[in-house]
Amino acid sequence: MGPRKFFIATVAITAIAFGAWLSFKMASPAPVPQVATILPVAGELPEFSLLDHNGDPIGRDVFKGHWNLVFFGFTHCPDICPLTLQVLADAKKQLAAAGFERLPRIVLVSVDPERDTPEVLAQYVGYFGDDNLGITGDLEEISKFTKGLGIWFQKSGDGENYSVDHAAAVLVINPDGQFEALFGAPHEADNLVHDLPIIMGRQ
Amino acid sequence: MKRIVPVLILALLGCACSLESAPLVASDVVVSKPRPGMNMAAGYLTLRNNTSQPIIITHVASPQFESVEMHESVIEDGMARMYALGDMRVLAKSSVVFQPGGKHLMLMRPVGEFDTVTLDFFAGRAVVLTVNVTLSD
Repeated sequence: MGPRKFFIATVAITAIAFGAWLSFKMASPAPVPQVATILPVAGELPEFSLLDHNGDPIGRDVFKGHWNLVFFGFTHCPDICPLTLQVLADAKKQLAAAGFERLPRIVLVSVDPERDTPEVLAQYVGYFGDDNLGITGDLEEISKFTKGLGIWFQKSGDGENYSVDHAAAVLVINPDGQFEALFGAPHEADNLVHDLPIIMGRQ
Repeated sequence: MKRIVPVLILALLGCACSLESAPLVASDVVVSKPRPGMNMAAGYLTLRNNTSQPIIITHVASPQFESVEMHESVIEDGMARMYALGDMRVLAKSSVVFQPGGKHLMLMRPVGEFDTVTLDFFAGRAVVLTVNVTLSD
């Protein structure tokens, strides 16, 4: 093969390869979440003054520097809350096993500060993983945070066995400390494993 | 021989029935260990009523917990709520399933250290079923 023919063959092969790549790109649109709702514009968090599970004062900046999966619940909830935290922990394990490096932090914001002291929360969130975060504190400050996010909760029943009705969504807060997306209940680890890399890949 | 065969078949049927014809049978029983620092645990199981009459469970008790209540978690319009159930009616030849995210036993205030939990299901004053289960993680 002379240099001219070689040049033509090279150009032809490159053109075919480029065409194939282009058609592949056009045929496979960007992946979309199967369950999560991504906010059109990530929202700023309301300001608050609360305590972490070590008893240290925290504000909304506590979310910065991490991807956060935030659930609102309480430790005296025997069914939905441990179930949800276990689903989040399982999803995180699956992402880690798949080689995903930026693992999100699991955050439980107590809607029952009367019983959920930092000590109680520390034991509880620690059960579901090492680097989890528990948030509690003054009820009014918790309400400031939840109302600003459209999260509703209300004490239900009297006496020591009272319960708390609460929103069951899991919020995704990005490393800039902004409300980025949310997962509606019921929660399944497979959905989180599918959607989180898409949500986190957008930044 | 002709007479013996039907008798044998009836006897075998009798054996099969006796295994499954306890009036109320529990299966898939799971009681989770109380979470660290927590004074409660959740219990899950399936109750099967093999009789032709409904069985009404009025309450559940356990020597290992000060209080046991039948509850149901529901998610309505994105809200998680928990209701205390009153009498639990297990219809004739039917099952009731207690499972995560739905009906469950709420076991409160454990008494001492233990690995096995006994659950007594009451219909009024009568215990209609006793279940022993090892705590699971």
